[in-house]
Amino acid sequence: MKKPMMLLFFCLLLFLSACSSSNQPSSSEANGEKQNQSDGEKTEVIFWHAMGGELEPVLNEIVDEFNKKQENIEVKPIFQGSYEEALTKFNTVAGTKDAPAIMQIFEVGTKYMIDSGKIQPVQKFIDEENYDTSQWEKNISNYYSVGGVQYSMPFNSSTPVLIYNKDVFKEAGLDPEKPPMTYSELKDAAKKLTKGQERYGFSILNYGWFFEELLAVQGGHFVDQENGREGNAQKAVFNSEEGLRVFELIADMYKEGTYYNVGTNWDDIRAAFQSGKIAMYLDSSAGVKAIVDNAPFDVGVSYLPVPDNVERQGVIIGGASIWMSAGIEEETQKAAWEFMKYLTTPEVQAKWHVESGYFAINPKAYEEDIVKQEWEKYPQLKVTVDQLHDTKPTVATQGALISVFPEARQKIVTAMENIYQGMDPKQALDRAAQEVDRALEVANKKQEN
Amino acid sequence: MRTAKTIILYILLIMSAAVMVFPIFYAFMISFMEGREVLGGRIIPQSFTFDNYMSAFERVPLLRYLWNSFIVSLAIMVGQLVVSSLAAFAFAFLTFRGRDFLFFLFISTMMIPWEATMVPNFMTVQKLGWLNTYTGLTVPFFALAFGTFLLRQHFKTIPIELYEASLVAGISRFRFFWSVVLPVSKTSLVTLGIYSFLTAWNMYLWPLLVTNNDSVRTVQIGLKQMQSQEISTEWGVVMAAVVIVILPTLILLFAGQKRLQSGLTQGAIK
Repeated sequence: MKKPMMLLFFCLLLFLSACSSSNQPSSSEANGEKQNQSDGEKTEVIFWHAMGGELEPVLNEIVDEFNKKQENIEVKPIFQGSYEEALTKFNTVAGTKDAPAIMQIFEVGTKYMIDSGKIQPVQKFIDEENYDTSQWEKNISNYYSVGGVQYSMPFNSSTPVLIYNKDVFKEAGLDPEKPPMTYSELKDAAKKLTKGQERYGFSILNYGWFFEELLAVQGGHFVDQENGREGNAQKAVFNSEEGLRVFELIADMYKEGTYYNVGTNWDDIRAAFQSGKIAMYLDSSAGVKAIVDNAPFDVGVSYLPVPDNVERQGVIIGGASIWMSAGIEEETQKAAWEFMKYLTTPEVQAKWHVESGYFAINPKAYEEDIVKQEWEKYPQLKVTVDQLHDTKPTVATQGALISVFPEARQKIVTAMENIYQGMDPKQALDRAAQEVDRALEVANKKQEN
Repeated sequence: MRTAKTIILYILLIMSAAVMVFPIFYAFMISFMEGREVLGGRIIPQSFTFDNYMSAFERVPLLRYLWNSFIVSLAIMVGQLVVSSLAAFAFAFLTFRGRDFLFFLFISTMMIPWEATMVPNFMTVQKLGWLNTYTGLTVPFFALAFGTFLLRQHFKTIPIELYEASLVAGISRFRFFWSVVLPVSKTSLVTLGIYSFLTAWNMYLWPLLVTNNDSVRTVQIGLKQMQSQEISTEWGVVMAAVVIVILPTLILLFAGQKRLQSGLTQGAIK
């Protein structure tokens, strides 16, 4: 009886050590670019990303093609959870040998990454090679450029659009080819589209991004110091006239019963639209294709609405960009740069745009045949690109730059929820601004120390 | 009168069973649906296809992940059983100075949420070079205060005289532990085993932290990998994978339900 226990114990120990030793090569393989270099083999570039779901196979395909074309570089894409989780993971290993060569970070993490000091701005390689950045979509690369330095390489970019149900537009006696462009048109249309509790006219996801966009489209700033691009932002300024217009729109429509509160989940608002519960809503341009495919009715896509008599400024891009780690071998950085350059070629961008729904960073991609074919099939995609092209490159549409963005977004969400509870829009907005002020203050103090 | 009571009881039981089972049933149904049916709010799919299951296996290395999850959960289960039973034996039978104090100190660690110790744990594992290994995934979970507590309570029911008699008879402590204490405590051991296996199977954050590639990743990360942000998730495929992932846990539950139940209630009463 004594033996089995000992046996079990030994088995466990053996098993664990065997497992760990058998995995040793793979783990050092993942981290140690050095090994491969000294062997004169391929340079390995580890690429951490957050592209789950249908995007992952597309990304893997692009990487495979790159690897096949290259003799000396092997890029390894590895999924690291959601954007937030990936950023947390990057923090734990940034600056060590376990850090990936290329890291995908969502747009609101930009300031955070710049301040971290653990990254290598790609500007260095742009200068070394005199790489022509004017081939990029200015409205996209602008976001990731601070003080004339291009910090990261834009990658998957999207903007918000108004999505509407053409079939119910007809049913309500509205012209399905003339979606609402201003707030009063939006309110009118929503009133006609609403059918008691059965169908609501309009909805916005409780997500800070949409508020930022509705603010920027009017030319409003989110924080002071020129949206945080001239220096560290000290105060939130989104409780301005522009911000108030957005909140009043939501409050008015909610009171009228033409606005439906879906909560904070992207899939919930889409399900509500697909099942006909809401007739119009705001969504990311990257989601358009799947919506068109899944909807049992005709889907229309249009620009963001603006308040009456306000000039349209355009949209800020969302999504993510790819960053290069500092503190890794120079050869690996160069290899990573090669891959980044490959990603921005028109052919790759055309494929990326068609299969993912994100924008092409390189506008030449829109001239590729596959894009033209796709646009014939999905004319809605072209609208999203047009909205981006029509954007005026101003500080407002360049987007705010603050390190506490995730927190600030949370405050906006709370403010939106307060409106549904019946709070005065001005009060809700002011409170959110105060809270963001405090968060900014704490962050600035931390940085000084 | 008694039959009426039974009928009411059973009706209530059936109703609560339906409430409990519905999410799983719905997940199972979604696993056969197309994207538009899911978003359209259907409960029963129009037609049953296995396309979602096929693409679940194609999209991520699901088999590899399942295998990893199995190894990790099994290792954690065995590790916890060994460590907890030995520790419980010490706390229940051996007399040494400060035993009760040590025991309460040990138990009080149950109050510290695991997340609070995550960062130091990660640093340790990183320094030891255990990232991307099964060792890094399992060893931090071997010591479990709850398990030690559960087993100690059960060991306490064994008369201490029996232990003293065995010492008089010249039987070694380990022999006593192995041939008397363990067989008597089978129920608690099985309970603890199932509990730790299930907990380990459902871990997400830790495996995500300590693995950087597919070689040792567990299945819960695979599920996350199938969901996308910003663009629509194909819930049919995700649910197909979920159904595959919960199968082992369901089998384990059905097989050990009786023991799990009696074991847990036993611990609760004492």
